[in-house]
Amino acid sequence: MAPIEYYITLSCILFGLGAIGFLTRRNAIILFMSIELMLNSINLMLTAFSHFKADMAGQVMVLFIFAVAAAEVAVGLAILICLFKHIKSVDITKFNLLRW
Amino acid sequence: MDIYFLVFAIMAVGAGIFTITAKDALPSALGLLTVFVALAALYLHLHAPLVAIFQITIYAGAILVLVVFVIMLLMVPDEELEKTQRNMPFRMTGAFLATYMIVLLLIGTKSVTQLVHQENLPEGFGHPSMFGDLFFKDFLLHFEVASVLLLVALIASIYLAKKKI
Repeated sequence: MAPIEYYITLSCILFGLGAIGFLTRRNAIILFMSIELMLNSINLMLTAFSHFKADMAGQVMVLFIFAVAAAEVAVGLAILICLFKHIKSVDITKFNLLRW
Repeated sequence: MDIYFLVFAIMAVGAGIFTITAKDALPSALGLLTVFVALAALYLHLHAPLVAIFQITIYAGAILVLVVFVIMLLMVPDEELEKTQRNMPFRMTGAFLATYMIVLLLIGTKSVTQLVHQENLPEGFGHPSMFGDLFFKDFLLHFEVASVLLLVALIASIYLAKKKI
């Protein structure tokens, strides 16, 4: 059984990859997937602590994160489709209507 | 060193790097699928079989299929979509700050691990019946709130999908 710092390290690396992807890419769909990557890293951290503290509450929390992620993706992709109808692109630099 | 953890950790990190560097959205989605599967394998290792199954059914089964569906639906032509954003110095500064935060977190884990010792797992840890007990007793209110959230998301996505908005 790997010690908990390995799980924390893996979780941090995945979160960092998600953050870097979110900040540098310009395809809106890939931004969504970066967010999913970050959410997954948090799930891994919660499950690891749940196991090492022998407390099931962490696993229940993971399930709530699943629900929030599902809601986020459903609404986010619907917004993306709406934007695509207007602007004909998924390039986030073209979504500048609300920018000053 | 735990070979099981190592295999799936390398798989997850490699697929994660592929996810954020792939040029098109579809290969990126397949990389994300690999991350999900690798994490599900790690959940099994952490005595969380129910979470692993939900990971496969909800993430790989529902969310990723929705993402792939949208990729197919939009069918972005090979437009002049550059891979990265224009003002890269700022972006890379942000990315480096994110990496710096990770390094700080990794240093922080040294003190965390002194606090967390492996506690003895109770009988039936991770079993669905134990999970259900906790889920429908202690977290009942949270469960109801989550169901309302999903209902609101459902209504919102139907509204957004209308012809004119």
